[in-house]
Amino acid sequence: MKDFLWGLIEPFYNAVFMNQGYLAYAEGIKNTLLISLMAVAIGIIIGVLVAVVRVISSKIRGLHWLGKLCGIYVTVIRGTPVMVQLLIIYNMIFTSRDSNPLLCAGICFGINSGAYVAEIIRGGIESIDKGQTEAGRSLGFNDLQTMRYIILPQAFRNALPALGNEFIVLVKESSVASVIAVSDLTKMAQYIGSRTWDIVPPLVVAALCYLVIVMILTKLLSLLERRMSRGDRN
Amino acid sequence: MIETKNLQKAFGDHLVLAGIDQHIDKGEKVVVIGPSGSGKSTFLRCLNRLEEPTGGEIWFEGTNITDPSCNINKLRQKMGMVFQQFNLFPHLSVKENITLAPRKLMGIGDKEADERAMELLKRIGLEEKADAYPRQLSGGQQQRIAIIRALAMNPDVMLFDEPTSALDPEMVGEVLELMKELAHDGMTMVVVTHEMGFAREVANRVLFIDEGIVQEENEPKEFFANPKNPRLKDFLSKVL
Repeated sequence: MKDFLWGLIEPFYNAVFMNQGYLAYAEGIKNTLLISLMAVAIGIIIGVLVAVVRVISSKIRGLHWLGKLCGIYVTVIRGTPVMVQLLIIYNMIFTSRDSNPLLCAGICFGINSGAYVAEIIRGGIESIDKGQTEAGRSLGFNDLQTMRYIILPQAFRNALPALGNEFIVLVKESSVASVIAVSDLTKMAQYIGSRTWDIVPPLVVAALCYLVIVMILTKLLSLLERRMSRGDRN
Repeated sequence: MIETKNLQKAFGDHLVLAGIDQHIDKGEKVVVIGPSGSGKSTFLRCLNRLEEPTGGEIWFEGTNITDPSCNINKLRQKMGMVFQQFNLFPHLSVKENITLAPRKLMGIGDKEADERAMELLKRIGLEEKADAYPRQLSGGQQQRIAIIRALAMNPDVMLFDEPTSALDPEMVGEVLELMKELAHDGMTMVVVTHEMGFAREVANRVLFIDEGIVQEENEPKEFFANPKNPRLKDFLSKVL
């Protein structure tokens, strides 16, 4: 009985502790989180900018081309696989000797996420009653100020569940970065598997790590959602 | 103070305002009535260009505000507006609703803006709601806060777009009461409303708009006692 149990546990024990493998996971988790954080930050900046430009440019004559440009960005990014985008960007721009695959992955996922965030935020903006814009404009705020002080805070709150979803997808999608030799969690699991000659246990360990990260992220997002819904109390 | 010259507004082929010439003096209280779809709200919303007029001119305090080169945002600070649906900002507390525009647009410090907001809230007896959020308040309370939010910018004229139409009947009184106080204090007001009692009591002049033109205008006593336009007679017989 004892031997049987040990037989079950041993591969996982080896996957984590042999040759201080846990250090490799820690490194992998760190890189995965770094890529995700970079991507979320870039994604939000691009997403908000693109969403605001798309909404405002439709109202202002002479800015239509800018809205069109943003539309093309969203279409192209959403219409092509992230792995292909990653490979193209990596091979096109970051092939110089001192290129940093981690930075490359962060930027690429950020550019990718930006398109999705833009659509989410645009949906959020369009869900806000027209009366809010009119109230802002009637007080003397211009288009951008109305957007910043009145519309975006509300749009953001409405879009938060969808944004949370996007960020969860992002954390998991970052595993694709292993194709450009980034030492993220997935890559590290494969590396340990190749050392112990047993690939499944380290992959299971990596899966558990992703699961925990996503659960923590979900918890944080629900806390944020609760904080932002102050005005909803009745 | 406000002058419209042959003001026109068309939505596509549909002419909603077919040329309105009005002169509103400082301190005057003008009440606009008319059947729904008559263009009375559109007329009001053109005055601060929430609707872009498609013809004619609007002059406000000596500036042609239909001129594309005028700074409409600056001018709107002097024209407070109150909406049928209140349009308070639900993500901001009552106090923040009132202080947002003065702080961001007039550069008033936080402390001073807060004090001014509390003063205004005290005036309407809602100072204990300063930290509440709009959705926690009744319609009447929300509308009164919307009015003082506009007042916080020290406007020269207040535009009211059916301010009591979305309210439960028992809350209409408190909002009208506040508007009467404003009128009494000498505020220039343009009010689109269905409250004939308010028109009779407060207005210096009542306009009847139908089919995009001012069909009749008069001081309230004569307006209600002796309507001449057949459409107005018909309208009054329905609402009175």
